[in-house]
Amino acid sequence: MDYIAQGFIRSIELLLSGDPETYSAIFTTLRISSLSIVASLIIGIPLGFLLGYFEFPGKRQVRAIVDTLLALPTVVVGLFVYAFISRRGPCGELGILFTITGIAVAQTILVTPIVVSLTATAIESLDRRLRATLVALGARGRQILITSLMEARYAVLVAAVTAYGRAISEVGISMMIGGNIKWHTRTITTAIALETGKGDFAVGIALGIVLLTFALVVNSSLTLLKKRS
Amino acid sequence: MPTHLLYQINNLKYRYGEHFELDVPELTIKQGSSIGFAGSNGSGKSTLLRILAFIELPEEGDIRFEGAKVLKNNGGAKRDVTMLLQEPYLLKRSVFENVAFGLKIRDDRKNLKERVYGAMELVGISPEEFARRRWHEISGGEAQRIALASRLILKPKVLILDEPTASVDQQSARLIKEAIIECRSRFGMSLIIASHDRVWLNSATDMVKRMHEGRIVGTGSENILSGPWDHEENGLYTKVLTDGQALFVTKPPHQAAAGVVNPSDIVISVLEPDGISTRNILRGIVTHMTMERDSRDILIEVDAGGLSLLSRLTPSAVQSLSLVPGKEVWALFKASAVDWY
Repeated sequence: MDYIAQGFIRSIELLLSGDPETYSAIFTTLRISSLSIVASLIIGIPLGFLLGYFEFPGKRQVRAIVDTLLALPTVVVGLFVYAFISRRGPCGELGILFTITGIAVAQTILVTPIVVSLTATAIESLDRRLRATLVALGARGRQILITSLMEARYAVLVAAVTAYGRAISEVGISMMIGGNIKWHTRTITTAIALETGKGDFAVGIALGIVLLTFALVVNSSLTLLKKRS
Repeated sequence: MPTHLLYQINNLKYRYGEHFELDVPELTIKQGSSIGFAGSNGSGKSTLLRILAFIELPEEGDIRFEGAKVLKNNGGAKRDVTMLLQEPYLLKRSVFENVAFGLKIRDDRKNLKERVYGAMELVGISPEEFARRRWHEISGGEAQRIALASRLILKPKVLILDEPTASVDQQSARLIKEAIIECRSRFGMSLIIASHDRVWLNSATDMVKRMHEGRIVGTGSENILSGPWDHEENGLYTKVLTDGQALFVTKPPHQAAAGVVNPSDIVISVLEPDGISTRNILRGIVTHMTMERDSRDILIEVDAGGLSLLSRLTPSAVQSLSLVPGKEVWALFKASAVDWY
């Protein structure tokens, strides 16, 4: 058991001393997850709004597909994206395999269904009196749509935070698409997997603490936002 | 098309679910008038009001607003009409932003703060105290008043009110009623009101229309007696009220038919009548008294076993009977005084 305790003490030292390798993985994780979350919000919020607000033929089927994609395994996304962006793949010329961009693209595919589904639910859950109120106050077409989205803003933020939590904690995509290259594409989760395999628990625990701190912040934000919405 | 007509409705039909159908063959509302709709829950008042506010469009029929046919995208007409819902919805923003919303979407920001504060004061909401409050920091009565302020600030041609005082405290109800009357006299807007408060409805409107099962069944202050009716002997039909008293009517066209009794046909007695031929002798309590604007007669509202009955009496009759709210009385009318729709 000593090695766990020693690993914990050493991990604190690594974090407090600003160990470059540890912090490289932390900043890489933040860069990738920020890129993927911005992209997934740009794609997912309008799609989620359309899915939640309008009635159209096949809506239930589309909803069922989106909800199924919530449980998309990261390694499956990794597999498909790898196949597309590897040198032999249709998007091989982009040269984004083993890059931060490549991981961000795959993570975007992973978390966009979360944003779409939760945004659609948020819009569907809007008070039935809202539309009547907006029409009664003279709002028209686009004003009704924008105000409706604004009314659901806290629930949409919940979607964003949930998606962010999924992005920072996934390991399959980062490993397969990023290749776990030191100083370059090594993220918190791939570093933990690697260091644990090597038996270096200190770095693993240090990064685990950081990841748990992120998770705590994400969950606290979720609790706060759910209360407001 | 005469220009003084605000609404002209022909053959309006609207279905809601499997059982409810609103059917208004003809309805006209004049500019500057104040019209009330009375009737039980589910009679179609709210649906009709939402159609008049252009929140819903009828499935069949024709609505003309100021002579022009209302189409789906007729935004001009929509902005002349506003409606206050029975249960207000405040946007998830500050009270100030809620009241200012209608003006902002019209891009009308001139003297915005003064106008918002003025509208808030009109409904008895202190701007200094409430302007910055968030939507979740106010009570139900305050929310309804803020919702009313956000409509009054628009100075609409038509203000539609769906049970505006049904779910608020007494003080809020008083302030809402005062603000509505004040604005009507100040801006000359037309009012369309649905309310269970028959006395207020009679005093605030020029004309009351009664609704039952999606149809307009009468005008004025008629009493609606709804079924189901059970067959009795001697050609009479009956319905037992919540306190065990019974209503007697003659010849309802079907078991669930609604009948109408003119308030002038209802006699009030302060002593229990004995030895008279009238079949309906209902013990009740006077709940409201109000003066009819045109006739100067007094409308007495009596609650008998949960049934609200209006009786029209002369001021001298009210005086001689010493009628006051809370007094126990007997409301009498013949079983044959009921007209059927």
